[in-house]
Amino acid sequence: MDFEAGPGGLPAEPAPAPMPVKMVIAGGFGVGKTTAVAAVSDVPPLTTEAAITEVAAGVDDVSMTPNKTTTTVAMDFGSVMLDPTLKLYLFGTPGQDRFGFMWDDVTEGALGALVVVDSRRLEDCFPAVDYFERRTMPFAVAVNRFADTVPHPLDAVREALDVESEVPVIEFDARDSNSVRDSLIIVLELALARAMAAA
Amino acid sequence: MSRDTGEKRPAGRGTQPGVVRPFLLTEGRVVAPGAELPMETQVVATTEGLRQLGALAFERRAIVEACGVPQSLAELAVRLGLHLNVVRVLAGDLRAGRFLTVHEPRAAINTDVDVLRRVINGLRAIPTAAGRA
Repeated sequence: MDFEAGPGGLPAEPAPAPMPVKMVIAGGFGVGKTTAVAAVSDVPPLTTEAAITEVAAGVDDVSMTPNKTTTTVAMDFGSVMLDPTLKLYLFGTPGQDRFGFMWDDVTEGALGALVVVDSRRLEDCFPAVDYFERRTMPFAVAVNRFADTVPHPLDAVREALDVESEVPVIEFDARDSNSVRDSLIIVLELALARAMAAA
Repeated sequence: MSRDTGEKRPAGRGTQPGVVRPFLLTEGRVVAPGAELPMETQVVATTEGLRQLGALAFERRAIVEACGVPQSLAELAVRLGLHLNVVRVLAGDLRAGRFLTVHEPRAAINTDVDVLRRVINGLRAIPTAAGRA
């Protein structure tokens, strides 16, 4: 137990809770999601287990709700204290290469998402792109600049992914905190533009 | 009564403790799908809760103790080595018993223009590896 009430003294009044907000970092397995979280998080990324709903493909499990099963997967997350009353959480969606996941438990209420892409394995990000399009959640596609790759023209990536013109397709470096921060801001600016248009 | 929901977890995942099947701690109760508190929900011990710690044991006590500092359900789960959904159930119990206050994120916070602006400005101001941008 690392919290001690301290001998003889009652702990002080607990501090007020900050307002939590969250963003999602999604993408295929090993694409740099956790690296991106680590680049801007105040604390090293933690790993917890998230419940995900998997739409069963041709598998019948009569003991569960038809066509859906819930499994738990490891998920990394970090946080940034933006000011004493506002805390941004960054959740990396589980890096699964299986299709058909629903990440509702992770994404519910998120401000937006960054879909991290390795341009050599573009197809790995399709489930994430599909998911956020369906949820109409603001997102940007961020091509991770791996040291050993020839940069991919962003226009080609956009064309291959066939995302709407509104969706930013950018290049970033998951190891660089400035680059990750700027990418998150691009997502938030899209979210803000949408929120203002809807107001 | 105590349905063994722990059985449904994939075997041999090699995650942490697991000496006790996770949902034994909740007497087999799980949170109804869709009714889960978001994982960034903040939980804070009440002054009364910290004073009444002696009335609690094991995980419940550990949760209230840890919540002397506000934190999210996700952080709490990691810190105590508990399954997130177990923490969700226990935090609900402890809220009902007034040991904890639970601060759910505001509804429709993701389309709140003021909140979005605050987050953008907050991110712009964070010191990064290259110093202040």
